[in-house]
Amino acid sequence: MATPAFKNQMASKFTDAFNRLNRGEQGISGLITWSQAWTTVNEYLKPRDIKDSLYRRRKRNKADFDGARAAFAIIVRCRQLALVLEAFLDEIRKNFHLIEYEINEYMVRYERDENVELIRMLVSRLLDWYKAWAPPPELGPGVAADYTLAFQTRLFSALPPSFTCGFKSLCAWCLSPEEFPPSDSLSALTPNMGVVWRDFEALGLIDRYESVIASVGYERIEKQVVEVCEGNWAKPMMEELRNWMTAKVVPWMLQIYARGASSTEEARSMLQGVGSRFDFHINKTLCDLRTREIFDIIIDFPDSMGALQDLKECLQRVDQRGALVKTLRKANAKRLLHPGADTKLILSQYVATIKCLRIIDPPGVLLFKVADPIRRYLRDRPDTIRCIVASLVGDEDSGDSLLDDNEPIQPLQQSETEDYSDPMWEPEPIDAGPEFRTNKPSDVISTLVSIYDSKDLFVKELQALLAQRLLAIPEAEIYKVERERRNIEILKIRFGETALQVCEVMLRDMTDSRRMDGYLYRKWKSTMHPIVISKHFWPVLESSDLIMPGQFQSMQESYSKEFSLLKPDKKLRWLPHLGTVTIELVLQDRKLEVEVPPLEAAAIELFSQKDTWVVDDLLASLGNVDRASVVKALATWVNMGVLKEAEENVFVLLEVAEEIDENAVVASSAPLPAAGQAMAPIQTSQQQQAEKMRVYWKFIEGMLKNLGGLPIDRIQAMLKFVENYDQSIEQLGAFMEVARRENMVVCRDGVWRLNT
Amino acid sequence: MEQLTSSHAPARASHKSSTTSSTPSVAGSVAKRLSSELMTLMMSSSPGISAFPKNDGNLFEWLGTIEGAPETIYSGLTFKINISFPSNYPYVAPTIKFDTPCFHPNVDIGSGAICLDILQDKWSAVYSVLTILLSLQSLLGEPNNNSPLNTEAAGLWSRPDAFKAQLMKHYRPVNPDSA
Repeated sequence: MATPAFKNQMASKFTDAFNRLNRGEQGISGLITWSQAWTTVNEYLKPRDIKDSLYRRRKRNKADFDGARAAFAIIVRCRQLALVLEAFLDEIRKNFHLIEYEINEYMVRYERDENVELIRMLVSRLLDWYKAWAPPPELGPGVAADYTLAFQTRLFSALPPSFTCGFKSLCAWCLSPEEFPPSDSLSALTPNMGVVWRDFEALGLIDRYESVIASVGYERIEKQVVEVCEGNWAKPMMEELRNWMTAKVVPWMLQIYARGASSTEEARSMLQGVGSRFDFHINKTLCDLRTREIFDIIIDFPDSMGALQDLKECLQRVDQRGALVKTLRKANAKRLLHPGADTKLILSQYVATIKCLRIIDPPGVLLFKVADPIRRYLRDRPDTIRCIVASLVGDEDSGDSLLDDNEPIQPLQQSETEDYSDPMWEPEPIDAGPEFRTNKPSDVISTLVSIYDSKDLFVKELQALLAQRLLAIPEAEIYKVERERRNIEILKIRFGETALQVCEVMLRDMTDSRRMDGYLYRKWKSTMHPIVISKHFWPVLESSDLIMPGQFQSMQESYSKEFSLLKPDKKLRWLPHLGTVTIELVLQDRKLEVEVPPLEAAAIELFSQKDTWVVDDLLASLGNVDRASVVKALATWVNMGVLKEAEENVFVLLEVAEEIDENAVVASSAPLPAAGQAMAPIQTSQQQQAEKMRVYWKFIEGMLKNLGGLPIDRIQAMLKFVENYDQSIEQLGAFMEVARRENMVVCRDGVWRLNT
Repeated sequence: MEQLTSSHAPARASHKSSTTSSTPSVAGSVAKRLSSELMTLMMSSSPGISAFPKNDGNLFEWLGTIEGAPETIYSGLTFKINISFPSNYPYVAPTIKFDTPCFHPNVDIGSGAICLDILQDKWSAVYSVLTILLSLQSLLGEPNNNSPLNTEAAGLWSRPDAFKAQLMKHYRPVNPDSA
């Protein structure tokens, strides 16, 4: 039951409300006018289908609102606006299906046609709805804001996902209309972009789809960069891209991001943020592209200078150094450092890498990180030194040299300790590793030589190469010695005078031999032109037991005699198997003049003593050279039709030429190893290494024989009796393992003994 | 040349041994000579003879192996010998003893001492380990019966069968692990 107090309270509340609505009018006339006003206002605000032309007209009619104005005034006076607004928003919710229906209609068509114009039409249609439903501005900004919020919320939830795609296409179309196929509706309407963007703005689409809009810009940039720059390395592209940006993207950006700017100043400041984001994106995209292409860019160097400059500029803005190193290392591992690549190729790519990365990153941190695996790989290749040395000497046969002619010749640089008193000192770059050494931009050769720990290896190989080249110079082209001398002089600047003293002696031997030869020729018409070399200063030459028979021997002897007159303190030791012999064969019916290797000459000389020789007798007379090369020498003569193999291992001189049996020639010449004589007479360092191992084996054999079984560490210790023993115990272990596989030693419980 | 050296060598040897044997430079030069002899020996590949220093710290004590030359009574037998170089080597001959008991007219069967002229009065600095080992190998086949250390062996030399029986009675095959 209601208490009297409650009844009183209720009564006073009612009176209050009644008075507010009745506004002190007589009777309930106030209440009646309020009721009419309420109806008018709600009727006025009620959202309807804009296809209803009456509604549209009324909305546009200013007088119509004047009619409603009085009603609004009453509502405001009664402080009922909030209630009206609530009812209005509720109406919007109820009627939104009208808009949804239309959106649906447009989107179905869009999904079918993919015509961005439909999206544009949809947007402008939505704007119509928005405007039509908007409450009169006289109600104040609060109402308008509430309305906009409610409308947009409804709208965004009503837009299907395909709208996002459509919207994106529309943005893209705005940015570059030329990329969309011209359709009737599109070409008919010259897109007034300003209007489109204003519509977007009014509907709050720009804020909502900001990331979509930005992604349109990013994608366009990526596309442009790839299209224009991919594989195009000759000139820097950055400038061109920036120009493109200004001409193409900036106007688009202006419409979106600088709308409503009153002056260029204002527009500029509005664009600053997004502009630098786009600029960064250009840098990043270009950087990514160049990083992907870096291996080929290096191959193309120096024609890819532009790309390198771009990369340098980009790397300063974008932190992609790590990615660059990673990509390049991966590409190198995959494309360069495998057995299929020629050492020379690897070297030249390495040199190009050095040059390229020095452009990108002058302090050399990137280079250091990239070069490491290449250097390690090169160190393991047996012919690296040879290749480097060949390019040092400037092998003209191989065409392109690793050296740049413009590069000044400098002494080899050793890595030096940092000079702390240097006023220009700079700290190491921040991403430098702990092992990084600031190598001052040193020349390429220094870098190559520094692949190895010492330059002695180079000097040795250089010697071997020089010896080979000197001995290969034919008699007629003796002037070529001068060229070698020039090379050595250049190399002296690099390696230092003392290191190349041996080469100096070798060159002097050449000139001395020539002088002596000239002297003896004048004196004694010597037909022999030996090169006298100093045994200690030349690399080990292949030795042979060949004894030159007959007239060759007497020639050698008389030459030796003359030589000992000239240089009584020296002794000649002949290497008769090297060189060439020009001989004239006088047979009964014919004369032959041929230039042949000494062994061939020696063999045919023996046939001047008797006509028929058994191979074994020949071998004995020639001083036990190996059988295969003698047979090959004989085959040479058989091919020339001078000898004939009468029966197996018996050769006969053909004083009178015979009809050559083609088959026989082929049969006897084919299976012979052609390489025997063609081999270089100089031992390469590899062969020298094998020679060393032979010596070690002799010692190991000696100690195991006399001392019984030994563990590996004792063998290692004992091997120090060998002069210059330089193998590690691991290397020795590997060596013993090889010996074990050849059944020369056995190993039980870690003790090695000879296999008896 | 050889004669010249051999006639001068003993005089110089006695002089040097008293004054300079302790000088490190001379010890160094002896070691150098020995290591070059080792090199020569290792590279010579003469069949049936070999020697090597006993351990890596000392070049003056060597172990050697001599195999009896084919077609001699010692054929197929292997003898171990001890070689000990004096500090004034090569002016003084090394001391050589058979480790493996060797029944031979010029070898003392108990001590292994050898009676060979080049190891005593005929020693010369031009000889080397290689020549000594070669001489020993040929001594096995061609003993000098005029100055026997082992008279029993000298007496039996003319009767190969009996000699061989005695030889094999004393001979002990080389155990590879003995060293």
